[in-house]
Amino acid sequence: MKKFLIACFLFVVTVNVYATPEEDRLALREFFTQRFPDMDLNEMINGLYAFDEGAREQWLEMEDFPPYEIAIEDGEEAFSEPFANGKGYADCFENGGIGIKQNYPRFDKDSGEVITLEYAINQCRTDNGEEPLPWQVGELAAISAYMAFTSRGNKMSVVIPDDPRALSAYESGKEYYYTRRGQLEFACENCHMQSAGFQLRADRLSGMLGQATHWPVYRSKWGETGTLHKRFRECNSQVRAKPYEPQSQVYRELEYFLSYMSNGMEMNGPASRR
Amino acid sequence: MKRLIPVLVSVSLAVLTLSAPALAADAAEYQAALTKTRETLSDAESKVQLWSTSEILLTDAEEAAASGDFDLAVKLATEARLQGELAVATAEREKKIWQNHVPK
Repeated sequence: MKKFLIACFLFVVTVNVYATPEEDRLALREFFTQRFPDMDLNEMINGLYAFDEGAREQWLEMEDFPPYEIAIEDGEEAFSEPFANGKGYADCFENGGIGIKQNYPRFDKDSGEVITLEYAINQCRTDNGEEPLPWQVGELAAISAYMAFTSRGNKMSVVIPDDPRALSAYESGKEYYYTRRGQLEFACENCHMQSAGFQLRADRLSGMLGQATHWPVYRSKWGETGTLHKRFRECNSQVRAKPYEPQSQVYRELEYFLSYMSNGMEMNGPASRR
Repeated sequence: MKRLIPVLVSVSLAVLTLSAPALAADAAEYQAALTKTRETLSDAESKVQLWSTSEILLTDAEEAAASGDFDLAVKLATEARLQGELAVATAEREKKIWQNHVPK
């Protein structure tokens, strides 16, 4: 009887301390439902434009001739170009690489690593004897933009498999998101949950939901199309925390968590932002 | 007055001796400060909490030492170490409380 009671106690403690990823996701949606009761949460894939009507109108006008269009064209061309060994990107991905971005990041059971789409693109290159591309902008971002474009309208479907290593990677990303850091001691959560929709200088802060659905992004501030990890580095710098290398384990696990939180939301990349 | 001369000389020597290390840092003092700073920043980095400003200070300290300005070098290295200690304190505090911010 005593053992049974202890087991029950441990079960209750474990359940309360370690919520499952799906419980986290549902609790997060509930958090935003309470914060923005009149908003369709699916609108949050549009970032700050979900909150700011004036900025949204300007953005919609910009979408008539979107600045990321060149990246899509360049990306399609690069994607179709065969490697020196005659193979190509299409040989490395399911469904020939078309309409699959919603499944990334994914957990690779062989290596025990989180694989983002950009990481997989460079893996494809090195597996075929090609040099890896720079991570943040340029050809890699363009290929990713093209692949994102072919995935538009699909629903984010990141999987955390029943593997303790995958769950550990998810938990690491989650801890990173909610931990204050840097000289200014800001967590991602401080801006994108507590202060989502609030004005910060000239813009409003986007919410966490949908933050992973629309990358790569053409940012007017950058003057080019860049990857999500470029933005992670920028966020870290803004709070005076040392940024990590793009596609480092820390950032890949952060993306894993962030993307899972957007599961079920529509893929709308690439996108443009101020 | 003659009896005061040895006393004055002793006092002057004592003041000079005691204040000498504070007047000018040397390479050894800088190396000691640098070692402590590197250890602290390494600890902060292992806890995923290094500040971007700390490494800049450390680089500046190394440049100051290279130019022979050990006073400035020690000051900058010490500032970097203090930043590292604050980062470690944040890491230890956040480890205990970050879960409180997760919606349940």
